Amino acid sequence: MVADLIESVAKILFIFSVNLGFFAPILGWVERKQSAVMQDRIGANRANIGGFTVLGLFHPIADAIKVLTKEDFIPAGANKFFHTLAPFICLVPAIVTFSVIPFGGRYQLFGHHVNLVIADLDVGILFVFALTSLATYGVVLSGWSSRSNWSLLGGLRASAQMLSYEVAMGLTIIGIIMVFGSLKLTDIGAMQENFLHWGIFLQPLGFILFFTCAVAENKRAPFDIPEAESELVAGYFTEYSGLKFVMFWMGEFLEIVAISGILTTLFFGAWHIPFVTDQRLLSLFQFAGPNGAAVLAMLVGIATFFAKVIFFIWLQMTIRWTLPRFRYDQVMRLCWKMILPLSLINITITGLVLLLWIK
Amino acid sequence: MTQLDRKESHATVGVPAGRLRPKRVRRNLDLTLWEKLYLFEIIRGIYVTTKHFAFNMIGFVVPPRGKKRSVFTVYYPEEKVTLPPAYRGRPVLVMRADGTEKCVACGLCEKICPGHAISIVGGERENSERYPLSYVLDMTRCVYCGFCEEVCPKEAVVMSSEYQGLAETDRSNLRYSKEQLLRSEESVKGRIEYIRRIYSKCNY
Amino acid sequence: MPDIEKDLHTEYMVINMGPSHPVTHGTVKFLVTLDGETIEDLQVDIGYLHRGFEKMCESGTWQQVFPYTDRLNYVSPLINNVGYALAVEKLIGIDVPERCKYIRVIASELSRIADHMTNVAAGGLELGAFTAFLYFVEARELIWDLIEMLCGARVTANYVRIGGLKNDLPDGFKEKTGEAFKRCRTLWKDVNKLLTKNRIFIDRVRDVGNMPADEAIAYGFTGPCLRACGVPYDVRKANPYLVYDRMDFEVPIGETGDNFDKYLVRMEEINQSMHIVEQALNELPAGPINVDMPYYRWQSKDDIYTRIDSLIFHFKTVIEGIKPPAGEVYLAVEGANGELGFYLVSDGTGKPYKCRVRPPCFPLTAAMPRLMKGRLIADIVPTFDMINMIGGECDR
Repeated sequence: MVADLIESVAKILFIFSVNLGFFAPILGWVERKQSAVMQDRIGANRANIGGFTVLGLFHPIADAIKVLTKEDFIPAGANKFFHTLAPFICLVPAIVTFSVIPFGGRYQLFGHHVNLVIADLDVGILFVFALTSLATYGVVLSGWSSRSNWSLLGGLRASAQMLSYEVAMGLTIIGIIMVFGSLKLTDIGAMQENFLHWGIFLQPLGFILFFTCAVAENKRAPFDIPEAESELVAGYFTEYSGLKFVMFWMGEFLEIVAISGILTTLFFGAWHIPFVTDQRLLSLFQFAGPNGAAVLAMLVGIATFFAKVIFFIWLQMTIRWTLPRFRYDQVMRLCWKMILPLSLINITITGLVLLLWIK
Repeated sequence: MTQLDRKESHATVGVPAGRLRPKRVRRNLDLTLWEKLYLFEIIRGIYVTTKHFAFNMIGFVVPPRGKKRSVFTVYYPEEKVTLPPAYRGRPVLVMRADGTEKCVACGLCEKICPGHAISIVGGERENSERYPLSYVLDMTRCVYCGFCEEVCPKEAVVMSSEYQGLAETDRSNLRYSKEQLLRSEESVKGRIEYIRRIYSKCNY
Repeated sequence: MPDIEKDLHTEYMVINMGPSHPVTHGTVKFLVTLDGETIEDLQVDIGYLHRGFEKMCESGTWQQVFPYTDRLNYVSPLINNVGYALAVEKLIGIDVPERCKYIRVIASELSRIADHMTNVAAGGLELGAFTAFLYFVEARELIWDLIEMLCGARVTANYVRIGGLKNDLPDGFKEKTGEAFKRCRTLWKDVNKLLTKNRIFIDRVRDVGNMPADEAIAYGFTGPCLRACGVPYDVRKANPYLVYDRMDFEVPIGETGDNFDKYLVRMEEINQSMHIVEQALNELPAGPINVDMPYYRWQSKDDIYTRIDSLIFHFKTVIEGIKPPAGEVYLAVEGANGELGFYLVSDGTGKPYKCRVRPPCFPLTAAMPRLMKGRLIADIVPTFDMINMIGGECDR
């Protein structure tokens, strides 16, 4: 009982510290530096403490100080309650999504089963979808309550885009669920022990479609029309500054990490190294005794998982800085006329293959 | 040629087709299936940017020949760009070895300045040599065009290659007086030789 | 269902894409009347950058106008210089030496490359392709380095004079040009790979901003926008000036005049201009670059320092200005946006009586409402970008 409590608290602390303490500030730095190196320039690297500029890693700290000391205004005539509430509604789902993503497998540690996921829900993936649906409210409320033409346009575009892509996202996932036969993310992760059973080989089309829908759900380029810089000055967060603005940004970055986590779990073998089974890993660390071996295997699993997450973050950043953005009606057309039929075809073919060949 | 004939306008009548040499841009990019699927062109785009990314990252560790790093940035103010000899910086007055200015207050630079930045009050010395009593160059009006250097008959005003220290917080500090503008002839020797070369007789 | 719609109270939303807006580069105001996201009406307001160029010209001498012309189309300043100088020379009736003509061609084409690169880069930036923007900005830096080597300043060049040029080509110009163009061509290929066949980009710019050729001519389009409509009109071919009739280059033509055609025409013109510069550098004859006419062109410093008559001419022409014979002239050159025309009236004194500029992007901006009625608000972005309205030129 106590061991369970310690385990839960440790996992929650770990995930929160990794997320809010590491990923959220670092992703701002990564965005600047990666885009800079792609574009033949050095990124921001002048912020220093006592003359030490550590590749610009002090910039997130400088950003934090700037954000906390900025004036927090609400436009005249705006709806104060919703204006203040909207960033929270955007941020909270992004943080809570992490509670169902497994970042390691199951291990026997000190006579106790440790499951490296905060909440091993039976409906795993559906919980994620439910939370992303909630994020839509935040965007729409911010657009509506800002009492500005630009924000309104941004909020309306966002509502249409996010709703459509949620529908498509749900359908693209059905293929992988059919193949693995379970909604629990831990089960799906555990079933990808064999390299050839990774989701990307079993459902390549599903991977591409789900990736597209997830990026669109997150409002990142090329789908960033709700915040299109050049058309609507900043879209739905035009009238925000200071801490609330940063909450929108953090929500976006944390959702990048969440999407990478889900992609890794479903399609890229979660915490498994290719061609190395769990048994082989444990036998590799036999020199440290059973507990030690479990601890080392756990660390290797967590490291592999986060390495894959970092790869997907890099990929999403590259895509953001490479591609132009869609027009509003083209985004809708892409979703309803291309992704949706393709996902239905995907489901049909998967079903046929499962029925006829894998029996 | 049929398309072009139909779109003739009065503006192109009389231009022989051989001289015109129009080139039709590849307009009908009938998108092949390969391109209709967004995916492959996106992958090509990602390949282009990843190539730049990889070259630049390697260039941070192993810089290419002759340069400090592979990215295009010059890390000002630690590193500065080498300016060509033609560079037009701030105008300065040339001072002879004995401390007097070469300027004879003829007023040509004042007349030619397109921004009306120069104000001269002339005077005479005891040996009836003209000199400027006051020479005020208003930096808020100077556009660094180089006309003053071009018309000066005495090589007294030249465009140095100074581009730093030109910002002030008070506008009255920007009306540079004669004393602030004087530079020794040694320090602008390169520029004087340059203007002698470019405005020499061989160009006419 | 008409009954339901009758009770819905809908109204148009009027949005002000004001003078400072990320997409209206060049200060211009659009009053957009929207029905949802569809544009019902568009009104264009220009004049936010009007600085009184024509009046300023009347208060200075003929030579003092050159820095003012730099600031007309500030992305391709050397073309403005060349146009004005050619107009005054036509008024006077003098002809410049061969070498001067070749160098003027080189300067014009370098400016044209810079302008087209800026325009395509800004187009990519507005549409969200930041990396394509920065690649072309890097290429433009190299071109600006060449121009700085030539005349001392990157943008406000002030290089051409009436009857010649300020200075000759510096040493090592040809080698530096070769290196710069090599890198520019690599970056051109990169941007081509990023944008031209990218379906996302094509969907944004194709079939947007169409203009039939006869309407385009009626509006007064010239330049890349007219060539994108299919009309093969280029001032360099129709009324050749300088040595363009000896240069071997093609004129890219589009078909329907939409933004994709304009983009392709501009990309191809960058290549053609680089080809022209290389030809001109190869064929450059030796010789003088200024006419030897003390009435119209400031003499050499050797003469001014030593000869009294040169000094007197120098003083007269600087203080009173050169005196072209009374009359009027119109001369058009091919600017980066189209036909850049100078209409000069002289009354025989040292100051211009009138100096009017025909801005090529004025008719293009005037056609914006015609192009935009019935489109989505997101279509303003690529259309207005590809028109390449430069504030300094449109408002003077």
